Amino acid sequence: MSPAGGGSAPARPAGTGGTGPPGAEPRADGAVIELEHLSRTYRVGESEVRAVDDVSLVIRHGEFVALMGPSGSGKSTLLNLVGCLDTPTAGAYRLAGEAVQDLSEDRLAEVRQREIGFIFQAYHLVPRMTAARNVELPMILAGVDPRARAERVARALEAVGLAPRAHHRPDQLSGGERQRVAIARAIINEPSILLADEPTGNLDTRAGAEIVALLERLNAGGLTVLLVTHDPVVGARARRILRIRDGRILSDGPPESPAAAGGRMGRPPEGVA
Amino acid sequence: MSRALLPHDLLALAIESLWLHRMRTGLTLTGIVIGVTAVLLLTTLGEAAKRYVVNQFANIGTNLIMVQPGKTETTGMPQPLGGTVRPLTIEDVMAIAHEASTVERVAPVSIGTASFEYGGRTRDIKIVGTTADYQKIRNMTLISGRFLPPGDPRHGEAVAVIGRTVATEVFAGESPLGKPIRIGQWRFRVLGVLESKGQSLGMNLDDSALVPVATAQRMFDQRSLFRVAVQARDASSVPQALRQTREVLLRRHQGEEDFTLITQDAMLATFKSVIGALTAALAGIAAISLAVAGIGIMNVMLVSVSERTAEVGLLKALGAARAQILSLFLTEALLLSGGGALAGIALGTTIVLAAAAMWPDLPLQPSPVWIAAVTALALGAGLLFGLLPARRAARLQAAQALRGRM
Ligand SMILES: Nc1ncnc2c1ncn2[C@@H]1O[C@H](COP(=O)(O)OP(=O)(O)OP(=O)(O)O)[C@@H](O)[C@H]1O
Ligand SMILES: [Mg+2]
Repeated sequence: MSPAGGGSAPARPAGTGGTGPPGAEPRADGAVIELEHLSRTYRVGESEVRAVDDVSLVIRHGEFVALMGPSGSGKSTLLNLVGCLDTPTAGAYRLAGEAVQDLSEDRLAEVRQREIGFIFQAYHLVPRMTAARNVELPMILAGVDPRARAERVARALEAVGLAPRAHHRPDQLSGGERQRVAIARAIINEPSILLADEPTGNLDTRAGAEIVALLERLNAGGLTVLLVTHDPVVGARARRILRIRDGRILSDGPPESPAAAGGRMGRPPEGVA
Repeated sequence: MSRALLPHDLLALAIESLWLHRMRTGLTLTGIVIGVTAVLLLTTLGEAAKRYVVNQFANIGTNLIMVQPGKTETTGMPQPLGGTVRPLTIEDVMAIAHEASTVERVAPVSIGTASFEYGGRTRDIKIVGTTADYQKIRNMTLISGRFLPPGDPRHGEAVAVIGRTVATEVFAGESPLGKPIRIGQWRFRVLGVLESKGQSLGMNLDDSALVPVATAQRMFDQRSLFRVAVQARDASSVPQALRQTREVLLRRHQGEEDFTLITQDAMLATFKSVIGALTAALAGIAAISLAVAGIGIMNVMLVSVSERTAEVGLLKALGAARAQILSLFLTEALLLSGGGALAGIALGTTIVLAAAAMWPDLPLQPSPVWIAAVTALALGAGLLFGLLPARRAARLQAAQALRGRM
């Protein structure tokens, strides 16, 4: 059940099995996300909800992974753990070789700033700010030199095809455009991982397809993508699908083979090969 | 990687969010402005009152001791004690002048009102009976002519020195000097015209005439003087002059202290402390309105934090540290209180300056000390009342906060 990453070179065929706990340094095989027996339990009054239950998995640099499962299965909870927005109640998590499960809230904020870009189903753009200002926000928080920002904002908006909409506020943009602004914002600080929680959930098929295409393009450029989706069409575009139910990983493998055997079928990370 | 927001970013973000809710921001600001303006106006008034009193006292003369008939416990108005009040007499004044070595000058004062008449025009004015020494004691200067002549105070001539208003109203352009006039049914001759000194402690010499004290006592059939003005040689000899004056009078009054001695300093101190207490009380009341305005800030900030829960979650997802969130919301609170203080100071100062221009006699001027104090007070209120909402925002759990609506 636990596809812990092996110790071989990044370009080797994937899925050769785990060999034990990851080392202290960034791993030579390109593992970015390493979860070991990770759990997140919510306490509601007397009862406990095991939203994420003993999950172990490895995601390597440059992978494009879809996380699928029924509503309430723990997808968002798992994504939040991976994104360091939440801390596990048990287990270990190494992000780019650094053990993060016990970090303080402010250290986690630093890790998020450096390593992770988020995309949400509801976009989460600040309504009073223009597209450009929304994209600038992570740089403001990171204390990036103001003189360097405008250029980077322009490039990011260019990359998502929204340069002409730079000065529109979110309510003056279509859903697809909003999500593209959110993507520009997510990549502006050049993170290593892009986490997307149902990014196409609010979009029609065509706009959704454009977003997925955009994510694929970013992935081709070397960005690791972990995507939560309900949509099998979207899931089919991933190289690897994690199926989750009741907080547990049911299967892990490429979309063609529904991976009944516990999903040890990782794929070679595209950006690294 | 820097963990603090750049100051200009902090300001810009805070202003953007305040600007979004202009109405709410404006109303909150108004509360602060009112509080700050109130504190400023009331303290300025208090300061002006104090300055006014000090000016008035300087106007009366320096190093003065006032003697009034009758015994009073405090520095209030004299009250007769048991009906056995001996009058203060011109002889008392002469004795003080001769025997009290630290007394520079002493002048009797008697008061009455009478109609003043010249050339068919009459005017009811105050008549002050005194002696030549009164001029130096009260720092009086003359526009023209001369003051009451020195000489034995028991003998009064029929001469008068008139105030500015009397000169202009009754003589209408004519020179009053040497003119024959009537006060009541007595005939007088005008010796001089006093320079205007304005109102000083309820005594407006502009609308009065000074005559020799003996003359005034005869006119009004008075046995006792209204008061006696004693001037000590200098500030340091005031206590001694006070003691000597008391000794002379006690001896002349058969050992009974049926008079009241008040030093100018004691009167001034009393006035100052009363006005000071009043000012502090008024400022305190005004400060309450500032505290209420501070609670207004807290209220607005709490609403803002709960409205922006998702935004806080987003900022955290984007890597904002708790201190950054805290600083953002605190900056908004401080902008509200600081902006309100600034506007309040501008408004208060404008009102004070306008009032000062309208009433030049009032010593109204904005006090830098109080401006600094009220600014500190407003910023303190902003900080204090902004802290709770800002901490609430900073402590929001990121994943949880993100579930909120944007
Ligand atoms: N703050 C919380 N307190 C208590 N229980 C929670 C909390 N957040 C989530 N849960 C529970 O944890 C489980 C997993 O929730 P999660 O949001 O991860 O599901 P999901 O797979 O993202 O569902 P969906 O597809 O509907 O978004 C659910 O049973 C949910 O009720
Ligand atoms: Mg979810």
